[in-house]
Amino acid sequence: MLTNTGPVAKLYLSIIDDVIDSMRELFLDEGLEDRVLDDLRHLWESKMMQSKAMEDFRQNNINSSNFVLQLPASYNQSDQELTASVVIPASQNVHSFPVKNSSETLATFSLPAALAYPVQIPAGVTLQTASGQLYKVNVPVVVTQAPAGQQPVSHPTQKVTERREAPASHPAAVQPHPILPHEVEPSSLPASSVTQPKTSLAPSQESCLPQLSPEPEGTLAETELSPQPEPVNLSMTASPSTQLFNFQISAEEVLTQTAQTRDVDDILKQAIEEERGKAERLDLDYSYSVLSDIVQLDGPADNSDLEEGDGVPLEENDFLGIINAEAIKALQEGNGSSDGNSISSSSDSEGADDLADVEEEDPLNSGDDVIEQDIPDLFDTDNVIVCQYDKIHRSKNRWKFHLKDGVMCYRGRDYVFSKAVGEAEW
Amino acid sequence: MDSSDEALDIIVTNVVATFRTRCHLNLRTIALEGTNVIYKPEVGKVLMKLRKPKITASIWSSGKIICTGATSEDEAKLGARRLARCLQKLGFKVRFSAFRVVNVLAVCSMPFGVHLIDFTKNNRPIASYEPELHPAATYRIKHLKATIQVFSTGSITVTGPNVQNVATAVEQVYPLLFECQKPLCK
Repeated sequence: MLTNTGPVAKLYLSIIDDVIDSMRELFLDEGLEDRVLDDLRHLWESKMMQSKAMEDFRQNNINSSNFVLQLPASYNQSDQELTASVVIPASQNVHSFPVKNSSETLATFSLPAALAYPVQIPAGVTLQTASGQLYKVNVPVVVTQAPAGQQPVSHPTQKVTERREAPASHPAAVQPHPILPHEVEPSSLPASSVTQPKTSLAPSQESCLPQLSPEPEGTLAETELSPQPEPVNLSMTASPSTQLFNFQISAEEVLTQTAQTRDVDDILKQAIEEERGKAERLDLDYSYSVLSDIVQLDGPADNSDLEEGDGVPLEENDFLGIINAEAIKALQEGNGSSDGNSISSSSDSEGADDLADVEEEDPLNSGDDVIEQDIPDLFDTDNVIVCQYDKIHRSKNRWKFHLKDGVMCYRGRDYVFSKAVGEAEW
Repeated sequence: MDSSDEALDIIVTNVVATFRTRCHLNLRTIALEGTNVIYKPEVGKVLMKLRKPKITASIWSSGKIICTGATSEDEAKLGARRLARCLQKLGFKVRFSAFRVVNVLAVCSMPFGVHLIDFTKNNRPIASYEPELHPAATYRIKHLKATIQVFSTGSITVTGPNVQNVATAVEQVYPLLFECQKPLCK
């Protein structure tokens, strides 16, 4: 149940572990059985998984050196913008995706939003996540949407052998390769399913774009040489999890974004080592998913998580705590009428001067004269950010937020960040 | 020749008003439970912004409230009442009293430029001009309690206690400006 986890999920699980462990003694002292504690733990974890079930789902992307494929946004819960630059080799049997942009070297594909999985990706495709993670696919693969919790471990080996047997056949022959949510640590994977990407990731995590470039170039050359299934070369940049993948050709810049969890470093190092050691293997693994966990939803200059839709609720909730419109309204009804009555009665008893003032100014009747706020609590949303702030700045009606160490619940999903920057208009 | 008002557009840009709630206000409560508020504990006030009449109000714990940003006196009053209603809903026994427009700021643009040196010379004690400090000449009308700042481009800003005074001030100063006009150099 805890196998497929993203960085947020890992954090939460570690928190659960800490709490449960520290409670163990207390429970025993109280005379409660250990079983009770375990039940509590299971209950907690299951509830957490339920609510975050979607988030655990990670996609695996396969990099193809020549082809940049952008996965549709609808697949994911997030609203990442799709940016893809795709190069489709003329010889490849590409899918009928609409070509958005084409440069001399790259053609951009973005998968239609309604694209249903499984998606077949020809060899020589570079996939790029919206966050900039690059995956090179040297072997034609089929990307499918796997249910959360699915173990991909068994598949890669099978696929590797199958692919080798039928190298020439592209999409049709390709076995469906489930895209898996972030998974088990590489160490738990069988040796055959190497986390090639991990090896490449480790350097990338440290913003080692230059380091990665030689790798992808090497694989690119390989793939270009032959349509035969090549070892999948994953060049992934560490970034927090994102749903969309846009893969740039290795020749292009590999975007790197800082990983947020400490796990990423380890994973990346392992991935890179394994990748180097196993050039022959296909790598469709969950290591991608693990790495994708690192994918950062928003770059330093990106405001998507604090942008318009969130703007108002973010501002209200984040800045002032959670405001309960219901409670306020209830309070208003109760107070409005009583205040009106008391005011009018007290005004009669005042002196002449005060009376003139009060009577003239006073009829603040409960709703009669004064119109209530026309747009009360426009966005009574559940999108909440709980965090600390470094700096909040306002100019007229433009707000700028520099936040740190926080958890954001956006559209039902949790995102943990150590730094967040945002802008909003009021 | 030139009538005082002529179809000059006097645009009221800001109306500042104050009123009292006659009750002590707990700023912390307002800051935590109010909508669209900015708490400034270092100064000891809460800013509450309203969208509908676009106004910003500074709320003090004594119950004194200063309301700025309205574009007309009526709007200022309406906004102030809305604000008081907001506070009432938060649970305070608010009584809307002592509403008073304190300041009105208006701008007006002459169809001609003004030669500030001449203007100042002609209106010696009433007008003052210090180009090193401020690029505009200041003309104060005592009995109206209005201050007019005249720029060489012919734009003027007028501040006064109410809109009527501001209009009167513009009428008064117009002929003086007309005398010292100069063609706007491009």
